[in-house]
Amino acid sequence: MAFKEILLNMGPQHPSTHGVLRLKVALDNEVVMKVTPVLGYLHRGMEKLFENRTYQQITPLTDRFDYLAAISNNLGYLLAVEKLMGIEVPKRAQYIRVIFTELQRLASHLAWVGFFANDIGAMSVLLYGFIEREDILEIFEEYSGARLTVHAFRVGGVPTDINDKIIDMINTFILKLPKRIADIETLLTGNRIWKHRTIGVGVISPEDAISLGLTGPSLRSTGIKWDIRKDIPYSSYQDFQFEVPTSANGDLYDRYVLRLEEIKQSMRIIRQALDTLPQGETLTKVPRVLKIAPGEVFHSIEAPKGELGFYIKSNGTDKPERVKMKSPSFINMQSLETMCLGNLFADIVAVLGSLDIVLGEIDK
Amino acid sequence: MSNSLAADLIIPIIKIIIVGLFPLIMVMVMVWLERRVVAFIQLRLGPNRVGFQGILQPIVDAIKLFFKEDITHTGVDKVLFNISPVLVLFSSILAFCFIPLGGTMQIGTYNLNFWVAESPVGLLLIIGISSISVFGVIFGGWSSNSKYPLLGALRSVVQILSYEIPVAFSVLSIIFFSQSMNMIDIVNRQKDAGIWYGFMLPVSFVIFWISVVAETNRAPFDLPEAESELVAGFHTEYSGIKFAYFYMAEYAHMVLASSLAVVLFFGGWLPPFPNVAALSFLHVIPGFVWYLLKIMFFLYLFIWIRGTFPRYRFDELVRLAWKWLIPLSLLNILVIAFVRSFA
Amino acid sequence: MIINFLKKVFLIDLLQGLSVTLKYQFTHKVTIQYPEKVKESRERFRGILRVYRDGEGKQLCIACKICQKACPEDCFDIEGQKNTEDNKMRPVKFDWKLYRCSFCGLCQEACPTDAIKLSKEFRMATRDKSKLFFTLDQMYSDYDLNKHFRGESKK
Repeated sequence: MAFKEILLNMGPQHPSTHGVLRLKVALDNEVVMKVTPVLGYLHRGMEKLFENRTYQQITPLTDRFDYLAAISNNLGYLLAVEKLMGIEVPKRAQYIRVIFTELQRLASHLAWVGFFANDIGAMSVLLYGFIEREDILEIFEEYSGARLTVHAFRVGGVPTDINDKIIDMINTFILKLPKRIADIETLLTGNRIWKHRTIGVGVISPEDAISLGLTGPSLRSTGIKWDIRKDIPYSSYQDFQFEVPTSANGDLYDRYVLRLEEIKQSMRIIRQALDTLPQGETLTKVPRVLKIAPGEVFHSIEAPKGELGFYIKSNGTDKPERVKMKSPSFINMQSLETMCLGNLFADIVAVLGSLDIVLGEIDK
Repeated sequence: MSNSLAADLIIPIIKIIIVGLFPLIMVMVMVWLERRVVAFIQLRLGPNRVGFQGILQPIVDAIKLFFKEDITHTGVDKVLFNISPVLVLFSSILAFCFIPLGGTMQIGTYNLNFWVAESPVGLLLIIGISSISVFGVIFGGWSSNSKYPLLGALRSVVQILSYEIPVAFSVLSIIFFSQSMNMIDIVNRQKDAGIWYGFMLPVSFVIFWISVVAETNRAPFDLPEAESELVAGFHTEYSGIKFAYFYMAEYAHMVLASSLAVVLFFGGWLPPFPNVAALSFLHVIPGFVWYLLKIMFFLYLFIWIRGTFPRYRFDELVRLAWKWLIPLSLLNILVIAFVRSFA
Repeated sequence: MIINFLKKVFLIDLLQGLSVTLKYQFTHKVTIQYPEKVKESRERFRGILRVYRDGEGKQLCIACKICQKACPEDCFDIEGQKNTEDNKMRPVKFDWKLYRCSFCGLCQEACPTDAIKLSKEFRMATRDKSKLFFTLDQMYSDYDLNKHFRGESKK
C-alpha cells in the first residue's frame, strides 16, 4: 500500500523548534523524506546594526546573538577587536574571561541537556538543568549585574575584578553540580527508553560532518578531535589542563554523553583558573573614542555550540565597516537533513534538539 | 409499594447520577494532583493560589474553557468533529457503570450496592466500551482536516490495536482464577482466595499496567498527543468546551484504568489481607474508602511515571507490544493454565 | 552478562529513574512566590537608571553628555547650562527614554562623576507608554518609582 507524501509545516509556532524555526517536512507515513529549514523569523539585521555603532557599543548587542551563551559571544567579538587593535589583555583579565566563558558553557550545556530531554519527553530533566543554570546566572548577576544579556567583558579586558564572594559562589556551585549531573545521568543515561531514542539515531559520518562544516560537540561525536581551545588557544587556554572528549558513533547518545563530559572538563578548567588566578590589572587603557586603523581580521573561538567566528573590517573610524559572524547554530543546522533522512518524524525533533541551535544566532 | 418504587427506581437513578459524576470529580482532583505532583518532582510549587493549595484551580480552568470561543475552522467534517469529543468522554464514563466502587452496605433491610449494574460479562463490557473512545480519537483526528491531528489519529489506531491484545491476555489470566467475568465476583473470589490477584500474578499485572498506560495515551506512551512532536496530537484543532471534553476524557480514562487495576488485581473495595482475623478492624473503614485509596495510588503512579520517563518512539512502541508484551503474556497464560490445571 | 539481563528484566533502570524523581518530590522547592516575596537584587544589578546627588544633596551631574555619546541605544537627551552658584555646568534638561534602554551599563561606566547609576529597581512594567519617558525631575534617585509605575499601590 502506497502512502501519499504528506507535506508538513513544522513551525514557526511549534513547541519544539527552539524558537521560531520553520521546517518544511515531507513525510511518507512517518518516515522523513525531506527536511527544509526556513529561516528569518527572528532576523534583526544584527550585522547591519553593528556598522552603525562604535566598537564598544557593539558588545552589548552580541549578547542578543546566542542568548543562551551571551558571554561566549562577548568574548568572540572582543578577541577579534583586540586582535585587530593589536593589544594584549592583562593576564588576570584573560583568566577571568576563561572562568566566565566556561561557566557560560556549563550554563549552555545544562540548558541543552534539559531542552534535549524535554524534546524526547523527559520533562523533569529540563527543570533540573535549569536549577543549576540558575545558580550560574546568579553568579553572573553578582559579577556584572545582569543574568541573561550579561555584557560581561569590555574592549581591553573585564570591567570589574572578581571578589571573594564571587569566588565563593563559583566554588560552592562547582561542588554541588556533580550531584545534579549524577541524578540526570541516572534518569537518562541508563534508561532503556532514552537509549532506544538516541542510540543509532541522527548518525552522521565524519566525512559528511566535515563537508557540512559541522563544529562543536556534534563534530567531536563523530570522532574528530577538533577544539579551538586546544588547537588554536586563545585567552590563555594553553595554561590549563583539560581533555577534549570525543566518541566514535556520531549519534544522539554520543552527543549527549559528550556534552556531559564537557561539563566535567569545564569544571576542571574553572577550578584550575581559580587556583592559579594571577594578580594585576584587569583592564588595559583603551581610548574612549576607539578608532582602529584600516584592516581586517577573523578570529574564532570555541563557543558552547561550536566554532563562533567574527570577521571585522575597520576603516579608520570608530565604527567598523563590516562585521560578519560565523555562527555555529546556523552552520550546524545544515546537517539536519543529512541526519534526519530515513528516520522517523519523532527523530527530527530529537536531532534538532541535539544540534543545540539558538534562533537568535541563526537569524542574526 | 412505595418502598419498592424507591428501591427500583429512585435509588438507581441517584446511583447513576453519582457514578456519572464520580469520574468527573476524580478528573478535577487528578488535574490538580497532576500539576502539583509534576511540579513537586520538578522542584516547583505548581498551582497554589486558587483555594486551599490551589485545589480550585481545575474548576477555574474548566470555567475558562467553557466560556472560551469554540472555533470550528473551515474544511471540517462538522458531524464527526462535534461527535468525537462526546464519544471519547462518554465511553469512559459509561464504563464506570460496571465498576464496583465499594461493597454491599446494609441499611436497615435494604442492601445498598455500590455499583450501578452487575453483568455476568462485566469485564468484557468494560473493555469493549472503553475501546469505543479510540473511534472518538480517530474521528477527531481525521475530521479536523489538519495534518498533525491526522498523524496523531494514525498513531492512536496503531497503539490501540497493539495494546488491546496484551490487556486482554493479562485479564484472561485473572479469569482463570476467578472463573467469572463479573466484576463483583472477581473481587469476592479474591476475598475467598485471601490474596489479591496482583500478588498472585505479578507478571500479568506488570503487562496489564504497561499496556493500560499505553492505552490511556499517557507518558511514556503519549504518542498520539506527543507535545514536542505533534503539537497536541489529535486534538490540536479543538478549542473551548470540546477541548475540555478531550481533556477530561483523558483523565477519566486514567481513573477507569486505575479502577480496573484495583478491581482486577488489588481486591477492589477489600482491605489488605481480608481473611486475616488480626486485621479485621480494617473492615471498619468502608469499602469505598479502600477503593478510593487504592485508585489514588495508581493515579499517582501515572503522574509519577509521566514525570520521570522519556517518550517512546512510534516504532519502538509497536515493537515493545508485539515483540515483548504479547509473547510474554501468551507465555504467562500458558504457564498459568498449566499450573491451574495440574496444581 | 547475566546481571545485565536480570537488570533489564526487572526494569532496574526504570526503577532507578523513579527513585530519583521520588527523592526530588520531597526536597526543598526553589520557587519564589513573587509578589509576596521579592528576590533581592544583587549588588551590581543593572536596573532602571537613576541620577544621584552627593551626600549633601548637591547635584553631581555636570551635563558633560559623555553618557549620551556612550549610549548605544540613544536613550539620552541632555542639555546643560552654566550654574551661577558653583560656576559648573548643570543639566537643565535630562530626558531619558526607558523604552529604548537595554541596561547595558555603558553610561554608568562612562560617567566621570558617578552621577548616574543603574539602580536595583527592576519592576518597570506599565500599561502607559508615556511613563517610559523620564524628565530630569523624575530621574533623581529619591523619585518614587513605585508610585510612578504602580500608582498608589502598596510596595
